[in-house]
Amino acid sequence: MLTTILKNGLTRRKLLGATAAAVGSAATASLLPKAAFAAGKVIKIGFLAPLTGPVSAWGKPGLDGCQIWAEWVNAAGGIKLADGNHMVEFIGYDNEYDPAKARTGATKLVREDEVKFIMMLGGDTWPGAQPVADTTGMLFSTLLPSDLSPDTTTLLAPAEVHPIYNVTGVEWLAENKPDLKTAVMCAQDDALGLPSVATYLAAFEAAGIEMQDAPLLFDPATTDFAPVVTKMLSTNPQIVCLDTAYSDYVHPICEQLFQQGYKGQIISCTADFYEQILEKTSVEFMEGFIFQFPDFDDPALNADFINFQEPNRFYEEYSKRHPGEWGAVSWEYASIMDLWRAAAEKAGSAEPDAVLAAMKEGGKGKHIFGDAEWWGKDLFGIDNALVGNWPVVVIESGKARIKGFKSIPEWYAKHGDLMKKHMAAYGQMWNQRT
Amino acid sequence: MRNRALHIIGWPALAAALIALPYGLSFSQQEVLVFLTINVLLVASYRLLTLTGEWSLGHVVIMGVGAYASALYTKELGIYVPISMILGACTAALVAMLLSFPLFRMKGFYFLIGSFAAGEIIRLLWKRFRDPFGGPKGIKKIDPMPDFDIGIYSFDFFEPISYYYLALVVVGICLWIMWRIERSPVGLTFHAVHWQDKLAEAAGVNVRAYRTLAFVIASGFAGLSGALLAHYIGTVNPNSFDIEMMVFVLTWAIVGGTATFYGPIIGAIVLTILNEVVLREMGFEQMRPLIYGLLLICSVLFLPKGLESVVQKVLARRNGSGAAAAGEEQA
Repeated sequence: MLTTILKNGLTRRKLLGATAAAVGSAATASLLPKAAFAAGKVIKIGFLAPLTGPVSAWGKPGLDGCQIWAEWVNAAGGIKLADGNHMVEFIGYDNEYDPAKARTGATKLVREDEVKFIMMLGGDTWPGAQPVADTTGMLFSTLLPSDLSPDTTTLLAPAEVHPIYNVTGVEWLAENKPDLKTAVMCAQDDALGLPSVATYLAAFEAAGIEMQDAPLLFDPATTDFAPVVTKMLSTNPQIVCLDTAYSDYVHPICEQLFQQGYKGQIISCTADFYEQILEKTSVEFMEGFIFQFPDFDDPALNADFINFQEPNRFYEEYSKRHPGEWGAVSWEYASIMDLWRAAAEKAGSAEPDAVLAAMKEGGKGKHIFGDAEWWGKDLFGIDNALVGNWPVVVIESGKARIKGFKSIPEWYAKHGDLMKKHMAAYGQMWNQRT
Repeated sequence: MRNRALHIIGWPALAAALIALPYGLSFSQQEVLVFLTINVLLVASYRLLTLTGEWSLGHVVIMGVGAYASALYTKELGIYVPISMILGACTAALVAMLLSFPLFRMKGFYFLIGSFAAGEIIRLLWKRFRDPFGGPKGIKKIDPMPDFDIGIYSFDFFEPISYYYLALVVVGICLWIMWRIERSPVGLTFHAVHWQDKLAEAAGVNVRAYRTLAFVIASGFAGLSGALLAHYIGTVNPNSFDIEMMVFVLTWAIVGGTATFYGPIIGAIVLTILNEVVLREMGFEQMRPLIYGLLLICSVLFLPKGLESVVQKVLARRNGSGAAAAGEEQA
């Protein structure tokens, strides 16, 4: 068809015709998976996250991971409830990281699609969806526990206790490289960066690592990181901390550190798509880079205490379908679904209140990285964050490897006051939020 | 005679259709309808600004000024929501008045860049001053419009239908005011300032004062649209009023056309329905930016005078056939 068009020349009519045909066939293809479930009982789960735009790296890979999770669960017979087995179907809604669209999406998922559970990235979008949660009693999850407050009774942070787990990386660093005693930090000045700054400051103080300068906060619209890096390196630090930054910041900052000749330790919350950083820098430069999110082909994830089915096969399947797209959230939403599934099967029902009660029964839960407790009253005003161990990941010879699992509650029991002090200084305690 | 009949039948029919409209929509489409109604006010106010020939890149930030101001008046001072909305609009107009002093020392492209810079300064202030603006996270838990009952209808403003009716009334009144302004001597002077500024100046018109007036009035209406938005979604943050949103407003205005009052409104309606309803319903959740961009390019290529030119052609054809029919009757 293409050769015919090229041969005969591309006219406006042909262009529009070809576009309409492409749009039509794509629409037909997108309807097929839904048709496959038409005959059986189906539980719908909402996925309300940014699927396009600058924050989509923390939404779309999660939906891709959930699709694999659903296929595996459905192939194994589905979710076993009191009234029989149910297949799982994910309904995605792109909120573009906009609170107004989050509200529209939450309304659609709850009132039209009749989903039983909604997973969100959270952050700026949660306040838009919150009135829908409050009014309908729908169970929501967020990856950002800073969304939690005493009145968010149906909002859970069951996978990621961002940014509290960052303390584990600093703790591991202090234990394994005790000679490193000075650090600098940069972060984007936004809802994600600031609580993380407070956490790293607490962790550095607890580890006896001195900050050489106040954290350098840059505007989220920054694209040129040369001045940021130059200023950080001017104090000749032993450690450079990249806080919790989007990959759009981590990559150019690493590139600048490399170009400006930095040879010290780097610690970061994330290193999404780190293979691309390796390509832009070098294996030697990235050696020893510490972060918090493992590749799931890591042998350490085959330990008995890991609550995730076949992580290595999951990683393999994900990488086959979406090469080079593995990131921090690829597994997180799927791990939340593991927790939700266990609670629904325990309750024998998918109704939000029943699942919530089953999930929080006894104050304990099976977090992906081992047994954990529902926690958070101190920092978030409500015990709706599932907290336990978290892995410390180090890049060795160009590959991310888990170096150990550290306990967040144990760290907090010893240094909780430091955390509260720095969180309060940055206005991040739940009762300080506007 | 025919036009009068059209007015007598047309406007009540349009009002009835707009009142009945949400009942034919799904819940999420009702939500989109609320935001669309608010955006109609935003884009119509933007056109008012462009009447004097100046295109601003700070209009969405001015909308944000209205949103932040109204939110703070209710949260910090406990002012009744409808009053705070009006005060929010006045605050936006006041900020525009202050901005006009440096901005209207510039014209054309320089004004465009200046307005962008002014908008960014305001957004940075929201981010820097956590008290009272909430910093990067903005302001949450903004008081909603209080529910009330008028006997035949109970307004629950969590429900999109209720808020749509509120927005419809407010936006309807604002559009009527803007229409009257454009048709008034002041509006005609706006046009003169755009197309014949030297001549207007020679005739004694204070060109800068009229540009300022258009800027302030347009900003007031934009601020009101921001206040309507803030009290519906319950949160505002600096990212909601960034350049990306401004590009959407420009796109609505350009695709719709700015030669007529209804051009930008048609642009906003068509593109919002396309982006938020049609493409989502067709299952192109993640491909929307691509298809939206493609359609925009097509519309610029094939409809360079905007969607309003289609309406004008249809009206001209109908008037032409009407005139021909009248001629035949007379013969």
